[in-house]
Amino acid sequence: MARFLFSVVLGVMLASGAFAQEKKARKKAAAKQEQVAAAPQAQEIVGDAKAAHDRKIAMCIGCHGIPGYKTAFPDVYHVPKIAGQQPVYIINALKAYKSGERSHPSMRGIAASLTDQDMADLAAYYGTPVK
Amino acid sequence: MTRIVFALLALALAGSVQARGNAANGKELAKAEGKASKGCAACHGEQGTKPSLPDQPVLAGQHYDYLVRALTDYKNGRRNNAIMKGMSAALSKQDIEDLAAWFASQKSNLHDQR
Repeated sequence: MARFLFSVVLGVMLASGAFAQEKKARKKAAAKQEQVAAAPQAQEIVGDAKAAHDRKIAMCIGCHGIPGYKTAFPDVYHVPKIAGQQPVYIINALKAYKSGERSHPSMRGIAASLTDQDMADLAAYYGTPVK
Repeated sequence: MTRIVFALLALALAGSVQARGNAANGKELAKAEGKASKGCAACHGEQGTKPSLPDQPVLAGQHYDYLVRALTDYKNGRRNNAIMKGMSAALSKQDIEDLAAWFASQKSNLHDQR
């Protein structure tokens, strides 16, 4: 009985080990394929600029698409230019707004509604990596 | 009378728009080793056009008042970044305005886009 149990446990361990290794190999292959946006923080997510353009930028352009537009609350200053910014920086900024680490009421509200995929898409649309 | 009031208002507005930092001072400051260990140039490029890593922003051509805001937020802890906290700690209000004036006046691909 003990021997049977032992062999079952051993079998499960071996199987899970093999499974983990296969998973790793798959991840590696996926990482190789992915070169868009080159985002170290979001390696599995590939940004889709067209998806952003077609469905997601509506919430951005009301402020960032108007030349010279300024924030209204809590302080007044020009909203930053985001087009041409580094994609990874854009993603990190959105994540920081979402987590509350960076505080701006409007951006917190907007970022809270974004998934990681949304952020990658927006970064692909607005961002330009500096070579 | 109204005309004078308007003229005064216009002057005040013009003044507030021009109350900016000194870009020439900012240029020197951006390269300065002493002020904040290595200066801005080490990571952002001398003109703010060449970030050395993908997570560092382009500063060139960004809005002056936004740059002032960002540096001030780093300095007073409203914005958290270990490196920028250290860099901004030694900067005076005038330093921040000068640096912002320098980087805002440089050309880059930053732009408004719908």
